[in-house]
Amino acid sequence: MVAIDPSLAADVTKPKADNRQARTGWGLAAPALILMFLILLVPIIAAGVLSFTNYSLGNPSFDWVGLQNYERLFTRSTYEKMYVATFTYVVTVVPISVGLGLGAALLVHSLGRIGDIYKTIYFLPVMATLLAMAIAWEFMLHPTIGMVNRTLEMACGTWFEVIPFFADGCAEGFPLWLGDRDYAIWVVCFIGIWQGFGFNMVLFLAGLTSVHRELYHAAEMDGARSGWERFRLVTWPALGPTTVFVVTISCIRAFQVFDTIEAFWPQGGGPNKSAYVMMFAIFEKGIQQNLIGIGSAITMLFLLFVMFLTLIQRWLVERKVHY
Amino acid sequence: MKNTVTAMALALSATAVFAEDKVTIEFAYPYSHLFDVTYEAMMPAFNAAHPNIEVVFRATYESYEDATNTVLREAVAGNLPDVTMQGLNRQAPLVDKGIAQSLAPFIAAETGFETNGYHEAMLSLSTFEDEVYGLPFSISLPVGYYNMDILNEGGITELPTTWDEVIAACQTMKANGIENPIFWGWNITGNWFVQALLWSQDKAIVEGGHVTMDSPEALVALEQMQEIFEGCEMQNLDWQAALASFSAGDIGMMFWSTSALGAVERSQGEFELVTGPFPGLEGTPMGLPAGGNAAMLTSTSDDPAVREAAWTWLKFITSGEGAAQVAMTTGYMPPNKAANEIILADFYEQNPNKQTAVDQLPLLRDWLAYPGDNGLAITQVIYDGIERIVTGDATDMQELQEELVEEIADLLPNG
Repeated sequence: MVAIDPSLAADVTKPKADNRQARTGWGLAAPALILMFLILLVPIIAAGVLSFTNYSLGNPSFDWVGLQNYERLFTRSTYEKMYVATFTYVVTVVPISVGLGLGAALLVHSLGRIGDIYKTIYFLPVMATLLAMAIAWEFMLHPTIGMVNRTLEMACGTWFEVIPFFADGCAEGFPLWLGDRDYAIWVVCFIGIWQGFGFNMVLFLAGLTSVHRELYHAAEMDGARSGWERFRLVTWPALGPTTVFVVTISCIRAFQVFDTIEAFWPQGGGPNKSAYVMMFAIFEKGIQQNLIGIGSAITMLFLLFVMFLTLIQRWLVERKVHY
Repeated sequence: MKNTVTAMALALSATAVFAEDKVTIEFAYPYSHLFDVTYEAMMPAFNAAHPNIEVVFRATYESYEDATNTVLREAVAGNLPDVTMQGLNRQAPLVDKGIAQSLAPFIAAETGFETNGYHEAMLSLSTFEDEVYGLPFSISLPVGYYNMDILNEGGITELPTTWDEVIAACQTMKANGIENPIFWGWNITGNWFVQALLWSQDKAIVEGGHVTMDSPEALVALEQMQEIFEGCEMQNLDWQAALASFSAGDIGMMFWSTSALGAVERSQGEFELVTGPFPGLEGTPMGLPAGGNAAMLTSTSDDPAVREAAWTWLKFITSGEGAAQVAMTTGYMPPNKAANEIILADFYEQNPNKQTAVDQLPLLRDWLAYPGDNGLAITQVIYDGIERIVTGDATDMQELQEELVEEIADLLPNG
C-alpha cells in the first residue's frame, strides 16, 4: 500500500480552487470591464484614430493625413490663441477660486449656526446651471441697456470720476465687456471664479471638520498663539490632501470651461478669439464645422493635459502630503 | 355584452383606419425669432386644406450653419426630417453629399408649375446641374434701417446712398452728441456683408472653386469696412445685442438684412423707423447677395404617401397664401410672383419699409458657399478676419488680406 502524501494532494487541488476563484472573479468583473471598455476606452481610441484622418461628417470615406492635424495645432495662429486663452483662464481661475474657497471655508467654519446661511449663499451659483447663469450675465453686461454699465453710469458726475476708469467711462462710454478683446477673457474668468469658489469652499469645509481639535490645543501649548501661526502650523498641513484634490479638480474644471463661452460667443469664441478655450475649439471644429479630424486632435491634446494633471496629483498625494 | 365588444372592436378599427390616413411629416427651420410667427400664421390654413397631413416641428436651428450641421449629423444617425429649411448658401453641400433630393420628379408631375408663380431667377438659386433641389421660401436683401428721431437729432435729414455719406453722417451725428450712430452687420451669417461689398463691385466671392479674397475688389471691401468701423467708431456688438439696442432706440443707423424688419417692428420702441436701400461704394451697388432659405426634401421614407405629403407641405409654404405670410410676418420677400404681385399688392403700399428690399430685387445675386468640406471653416476664417478690423486688432488691410488668403488656401480642397 502506498501512502499518499497529504501535502501532495493539497498541491493538486489548490491551484484548481484558485483557478475557479479567479474565473469567478473575472466573470463578476466582466460587465464593469466591458462597459468601461465600450463606453470610455473605445471612444478615446476612436478619437485617437480619427485624429490622424481628415474625416468630415457626412462624407462616405476619409484619407489618412498622418500628423498633419497635430502639426497645424502647433503652427497656426488660431491655435496659439487657443493656448493663450486656455492657460490664461486656468492660471487665473484656479488660484483665485482655491484661495477664495479656502478663505470662505475658514471664515464660515469659525462661525456657528449663522455659517449655514453663508454656505447656502456661496453655494448657490454652483447649483445653478452655468449656461442659464451665462445668459443672465449676458443681459447684465449688455453695453447700453445692461445693469452693469447702467450702474457704473450712476457714478458719473460724482467724486468717483477721479478714478481714471470712471473718468474714461463717463467720457467715452463704459467698456463693452463681452465685445472688447481686452476685457472678454477676464469677464469669463470672473464668472468662472464666481461660479466655482463655492464648490471649493464646501470641499475645504469637509477637510476642516477632519482636523483634530487636539492638534490646535497641542500647538497652543507649544507656543503657537496667533491665528496665523495656528493656520500655518496645523490647519494648512492638515488640509494638504484636500488642497491637492481641490486644486486638481479646479484645474480640470477650468480646462473644461465651455458653457459661458458658448453662450456669450456662439460664433468665434470671443472678440479676436480672445476666449477661444480648448473645449470651445473642440466644439467649433468637431461639431460646428464637422471637421472631425482636427477636432479629434484637439481632444487628444486636451486629454493629455488632463492626464498630466491627474498624474501630478497622484505623485503629490503619494509622496508628500500625507501627515 | 356582445354588443359592447363589437362596438369596441369597431371603434378600435376606426381609429386604426383614421391613423393610417393621417400622414405625419417632420419639419425643421432656422431662426425661431423670425419665423415662429410665420409658421403659426400659416398652420390654420394648411390644416384646413390638408387635414390628413400632420406636420411635426422639430427643434429650430439656431442659424444656417447650425441647420447644415444638424442635417449632416442626422444623415449620419439616420433620422433626417422629411423637409428642412436651409440657408440659400448651404444647399450645395447637402446636394453634393446626396442628402437633399431632387424635386424634378415632383415638378414634372405638377401641371403648370411655372404658372404657380415661381420666379425663374429665384428658382435658379436652388438649381444644381439643371435639377431643382429646393424651393426658395424667403428671400432677403441687405437694407439700411434708420432711426429718424436720432438722425434728425444728429442733424441728418437725407438718407445716405454711399458709404462715404454714411461715414460723413456718422461724424455729424457724433459731433452732435449721438454716442452710438451705427451698427454695420459684419457678423451676419455666411459672410453675407462681405459678399454684399463684393457684389456691389459685381465680383463673386467664389469663382470656379477659387475664393477671390486675393482680388483687388476684396481689398477694396476690407478697406471700406475699416473706413466704416473707424470713421464711425462702431462698437463691437454681437448681432442680438445690436438688434436689441436698435429696437430700443439706441442706435441711429443699422445695416442688416431686411429679414429682421418684422422682428424689429414687433419690439420697436417709440421712434420713427425708415428703411432705405443698401448704400454702395460709389453710387448704387451693382449687385447684392440674396439671403434667405429654401425648403429641401430630405425624407428617407420609402412610403409614397409621406413623400407626397412632404411635397404638398413644401409647395404650400413656398407658394400663394403660405408664402404671403412670409412677407406679412417678417421682412423677407416671398420668392413667388403670385404672392408678391397679387396677394401682396396692397400690402407693400401700406408697409413701405418692406418695399425697400423689393425695389432692390433687380440687384439679386447668388449668396455663394465656399467649396469643399472646409466651407464652414472658411466662413469662420473670414469672420475672424473682419472681427479683427472691428476690434482694431488689424490695421493694415493689405497685410490682413494676405493672411486671409493664406489661411483660406490652407483650407481649400486643392490648396
